Amino acid sequence: MRFPEVKQQNRKMLILFLAGLILTLILMSLPLYSFDVGVFTKKSANTFVGDEKYQTVREEVEGVAEEYRAQGFDVEIQENVLERVNSKGKTTSLITFTVNQRYSKNLFSFLGKGFPSSTVLAAILGLMALALILEAAGLAGTDDLLPRYLDKRTARLRSAAVAALILALLLVPVFILMNNVIFFRKLSLYSAGLITEGKEAFYAKLDNFFFDGQMGENAEEVFSGLKINTSPMLWLMAATLFIALAAAISLRHGEIKSSLLRGALYVFVVIVCLITLYPYYVMTITAFRSNAETLDMYFLHMAPTKWLWSNLTDIVQRGVPRYLLNSLFVAGGATALAMLCGIPAAYAMARMNFVGKKAFLGFVIMSQMFSPVVLLIGISQLMNTLHLNNTLWGLMLINAAFNQAFAIWLLRGTFVSISSEMEQAALIDGCGTVGALMKVLLPMAAPGIVTALIFVFINAWNEYTIATILISTAQNRPITVGITQFSSFNMIEWQYMFAASLLATIPVVILFMSIEKHLTAGLTSGGVKG
Amino acid sequence: MNTGLNRTRWEPYVWLLPSLLLISIFVVFPILIVFKLSFSEISKAGVIGGFVGFDNYVEAVHLPAFKTVMLNTLWWVLSVVLLSTLLGFIIAMVLNQKFRGRKIARSILVFPWATSLVIQASVWNYIIKYEYGNLNNVLLNLGIIQQAINWRSSYQIEFVWECWVGIFVTVPFVTFCVLSGLQSIDDSLYEAAIVDGAGFWDKLRHVTLPMVRPSLTVSTVLNIIYVFNSFPIVYTMTKGAPAHKTDTMITYLYMLSFYERKKGPATALSVIGFLILCLCAGIYMVSVMRKEEQL
Repeated sequence: MRFPEVKQQNRKMLILFLAGLILTLILMSLPLYSFDVGVFTKKSANTFVGDEKYQTVREEVEGVAEEYRAQGFDVEIQENVLERVNSKGKTTSLITFTVNQRYSKNLFSFLGKGFPSSTVLAAILGLMALALILEAAGLAGTDDLLPRYLDKRTARLRSAAVAALILALLLVPVFILMNNVIFFRKLSLYSAGLITEGKEAFYAKLDNFFFDGQMGENAEEVFSGLKINTSPMLWLMAATLFIALAAAISLRHGEIKSSLLRGALYVFVVIVCLITLYPYYVMTITAFRSNAETLDMYFLHMAPTKWLWSNLTDIVQRGVPRYLLNSLFVAGGATALAMLCGIPAAYAMARMNFVGKKAFLGFVIMSQMFSPVVLLIGISQLMNTLHLNNTLWGLMLINAAFNQAFAIWLLRGTFVSISSEMEQAALIDGCGTVGALMKVLLPMAAPGIVTALIFVFINAWNEYTIATILISTAQNRPITVGITQFSSFNMIEWQYMFAASLLATIPVVILFMSIEKHLTAGLTSGGVKG
Repeated sequence: MNTGLNRTRWEPYVWLLPSLLLISIFVVFPILIVFKLSFSEISKAGVIGGFVGFDNYVEAVHLPAFKTVMLNTLWWVLSVVLLSTLLGFIIAMVLNQKFRGRKIARSILVFPWATSLVIQASVWNYIIKYEYGNLNNVLLNLGIIQQAINWRSSYQIEFVWECWVGIFVTVPFVTFCVLSGLQSIDDSLYEAAIVDGAGFWDKLRHVTLPMVRPSLTVSTVLNIIYVFNSFPIVYTMTKGAPAHKTDTMITYLYMLSFYERKKGPATALSVIGFLILCLCAGIYMVSVMRKEEQL
């Protein structure tokens, strides 16, 4: 009992943890969802609100509603007015009366009904129970110790409890969203006749959920007007679960504030990562969908229903390998050339003193400023003169020239950071300057050189603008221009476009990841971007 | 530092020669051509005539879309650079914390930087399609919206989307620039600040910002230049439609010279763009040189 205040805090947190779980269970048993099922519908044409016909129909509908009320149902009349001016300029009106029966459901009534969300709910409950059991098992020997001095077994049990709770918490939005998908999206699409697949099974499940399967054949009609109302208490449930989680974390780690800050940090990072990955997710799933599916307005899935690997073989027929080879040739050549010219220049800049050194540095940096687009008229003129228009060689030369600045800048930084003593020794041993550079400096500067090499390669690989200007025939296209051929004025073959994009993206992203660390170091001294 | 033993006076220039040639022929020479053309008469077929003074410039300024395009360019550069700098800075601050999975997060953040702009723009183009776009599909499936939203109902909104894609691809660059600056800060500086009783904002203002200012300056100036020069995003997503209302200067001059065959005004516009870039480059040079001297 050396830390009575710690003991007290632990006990407080245990109580909070239990209270959070119990409150969550109580909230779950409240009627969080209510559904309006249309039990009686009356349509009245050429009726305006307030006129004689309206009154009689209204009375009739109210009579029906009364009958239901007498039987003890919770019903409500809904009125839908549709006014339209017809071609003769006359206003027509259609009023639809619906008698809605309201069904309130708590979350437990979703269990075992065969909806995908039922499984999720069962998982949430299971995880909560698991967390409770683990926490109880880790109860012994914790009371009078600082959380960070917990023995290994207890620490593990509590970690597992926290993990289970986190999972349960993450599943809450999944459950809510899944329900919404079923009731909003699917139902509206089925009743509008936009999709038919799996319709009967779906209505049977609904029937089972509301009326224990009594509606049978009529289910489709009954549920056509189904409406769902979600209580905001659902989110309150997530919030109380979060409190339980916070308490569990603090039982494991001690301070609640830092745990919550850490949690917020993770949430932020995860959101940023998800947004960043979103286009890549779209690219990937679209690359494997059929053309009809890419243009499907009512696509209910988050992934292709069938992964079409044939898209990849299709684009092989459409010239993509050729484009990839062109890109490889241009980017490879441009990299080699940029390095061949850049290494001597960087070496001179790093190791020699001469008049105009600063001027040359300025000249190099300035050349980095001008994108080819500003100069595009000049470039296309020049290429015409050199007879390099529409050739891969021309593309390669320009890419090399526009990447010169970065190559020199990064290489110079690397060379400067390496001591010149070894080279001097080599020079004294009788090596020429070239020999010293090749045998001594280059091997030592290898990481920097590889970084520059890969970066120039990626820049040239991703280049699009000059290529669209210079290349006019299909067989000379690099991949960046090649993917645009799948989009024409009247048809866009998204699946092929993204399959090709995927092939063009994966290698460079992997390459880029490998140099990210070095690049970051060289960045602020050089300043570069693709 | 002269490490050569028997080095002749002209030797350094031999080492520089290949690089000098490459840049001169493919960067400097086109600049000269553009300058010359901007003062020459050019027919629709591209035949170059004699000297016409500032006629091309006058014609360029009086083009109906000139004002819109210049304003668009201003908005484009301002919004993309400012917002991505702000976002990038915040993300860098977070990534500078030590937490599990930081390496993965960093690797993921590299993605947009490593991807070709034309591919990025195409994907976003698909995402925001009204009829079958993935954004509507995902939001509908998740039950966040009940009705498909037309994400590109007007050209102004389309322009905003283009800016968003610009921000999306620029943020990683800023993040990594700032991150390298942040990592060079010695922990002892923060410790000293804490001893002095500094809170979060004090630390940010008096320690972090001054220390990352150099890298922030470099990234901002470079971004101004790169964003100004950016072509694929606007060209892929709207091609400047309708009637150049979403064009920036760069895409507009491409359209002018290759679609509308108005090479004269296009070259004049190129020179104007060139001069704007020179101004930015000048600022950049000064800041880089100053940093060089500090090192």
